[in-house]
Amino acid sequence: MRILSVSTSLSEDSTTLKLANKILAAATSAVEGIGLTVETDHVNVRNLSSALTDMALTGFRSEELEAAFAQVTKADAIVTVTPVYKVAPVGLHTLFWQLIDEKTLAGKPVLIGSTGGTPRHSLAGEAVLRPMLSYLKGIVVPTTIFAATDDWGSIEGGRNLNARIRQATEELVSLSAAIHGVAPVSPGSTEAAGSPVQTQGSGEFGRPEQGRRPSIDDEFNPEFITPFAQLLEG
Amino acid sequence: MEFGIFSIGDVTTDPTDGTTVTEHQRIKNTVEIAKKAEEVGLDVFATGQHHNPPFVAPANPPVLLSNIAAQTEKLQLSTATTLITTTDPVRIAEDYSYAQHLSDGRISLIMGRGNTGPVYPWFGKDIRSGIPLAVENYNLLYRLWREKNIDWEGKFRTPLNGFTVTPTPLDDVPPFVWHGSIRSPEIAEQAAYYGDGFFHNNIFWPTSHTARMVKLYRQRYEYYGHGTASQAIVGLGGQVFMRKNSQDAVNEFRPYFDNAPVYGHGPSLEDFSTQTPLTVGSPQQVIERTLSFRDWAGDYQRQLFLIDHAGLPQKTVLEQLDLLGEEVIPVLRKEFAASRPADVPDAPTHESLVIRHREGRDPIPGGGPGSRAYADRQARAAEQNDTQGADRR
Repeated sequence: MRILSVSTSLSEDSTTLKLANKILAAATSAVEGIGLTVETDHVNVRNLSSALTDMALTGFRSEELEAAFAQVTKADAIVTVTPVYKVAPVGLHTLFWQLIDEKTLAGKPVLIGSTGGTPRHSLAGEAVLRPMLSYLKGIVVPTTIFAATDDWGSIEGGRNLNARIRQATEELVSLSAAIHGVAPVSPGSTEAAGSPVQTQGSGEFGRPEQGRRPSIDDEFNPEFITPFAQLLEG
Repeated sequence: MEFGIFSIGDVTTDPTDGTTVTEHQRIKNTVEIAKKAEEVGLDVFATGQHHNPPFVAPANPPVLLSNIAAQTEKLQLSTATTLITTTDPVRIAEDYSYAQHLSDGRISLIMGRGNTGPVYPWFGKDIRSGIPLAVENYNLLYRLWREKNIDWEGKFRTPLNGFTVTPTPLDDVPPFVWHGSIRSPEIAEQAAYYGDGFFHNNIFWPTSHTARMVKLYRQRYEYYGHGTASQAIVGLGGQVFMRKNSQDAVNEFRPYFDNAPVYGHGPSLEDFSTQTPLTVGSPQQVIERTLSFRDWAGDYQRQLFLIDHAGLPQKTVLEQLDLLGEEVIPVLRKEFAASRPADVPDAPTHESLVIRHREGRDPIPGGGPGSRAYADRQARAAEQNDTQGADRR
């Protein structure tokens, strides 16, 4: 299973990056718990800030931006974490999702995470990102994760945060597994290891040969285009 | 292979001195640029079609092209692009046919859809129907140039009953048509279906994307049986700014780039130069960059450069033409020709199209006998017959 984090870490050692890493780690163990292999990767939106501005202003899509969009298309599940400024996700983060191609998230489970100074910012992800990601046809899992300064400082806060992360990542992973026809198996089950049940497609997780949604590359693949005679018929 | 320039006719303030040419001056300058293009040995001048400021490219390009035709001898005159979506195909057929006669066959067209939403409703159209408009309108235009007494009915214009275009195309051979698109695979497919040319403006997107579009067109051209993929008719844009010394070119062009319409105030000149075909430097750098297009596009037939935009003074534009004519194009001609396989066709001209027509080798839309498309159609028809037979049994 390929899980991609698309997160906006504004400083080098930001709490947003810390939270994204914690979520990816929890998701990894959840996937391994059902006997599948997992690949995780990270797109830091900060590194795309100029490219996103250029695209917004001029429509020019740089190669690095194309590559990041392609990573999203290839992923089976998405984790997206943002800092919250003035009760809304920082503009740079939403710009990424506002510029990506329509329907990029079709059929993909998405987990929202956010960070902020105080709990007053906790519903920003729900209020702003959930409708945006749903518009992109992503399937946003019910639990979102918000981490405020307290959660990093106190023992109890840390426990609560970890529990929430566990809950949200289990939702993400079991949903991905269900979508791709892999029966989730409870952690510790002896049958889990090595024998995931595949009900559709073949081979690698999330890459069924049939019924696959076309990606941007497929649009230019002679096998996937609409033959002209059909266009002509209207 | 054809080399030339294409203009969008923008009236842009020169950012270095704040002056703006009048529309009248810009129009006269455009004619001067086209004449100069012929004088320095370029093959093609192409104009855009525009209906809104700050552009004074003609709303009906044959007006400008005919005027230039009257003042030149050999220059091929093209559009880049003709708006096939918002222009009545009947008027395209009539006006370009007329210009083709006036110019003794020196007219060709690049079809485009136009990307400015507000323009569509001015002509009673809707940008959301951009592709269906391009498909239906071109199909009608294609017939208008080849058939008489046409009965036709479609979605987007009033029906025709017993209509014949006048004048009919010169020597019964319509102007050559390219289909231009930056992003839409449907248009590459359309070009391939008819055996027409495919043109990519090659200015705003990374070459990896342009390469994908060209490859799709080539594969489908072969599928429809008009020739091998390497024989498909490909045209590319590009934009250059040159001085003998490359650093002088960068310094002089930077303010124009930074304030240019469309991409100004966006990516840096350096990023844009790395990731798109823009080349700002010495003639030698332009030669090397342009020759490298062949690496990802294959051997192609038409290369157009954008050189007269963003408020560049007329004097500078004419100097660019001198550099193109004296230093760049002669080398490109030689180098491209040297490695071009013998079976890759040259850019079509009226003369070559007349020969093709007389020899009965005109492309058959959708693919004639011997093509894979034809075989697929036969197989599908046979399958349907089988199913119907089975039903009857």
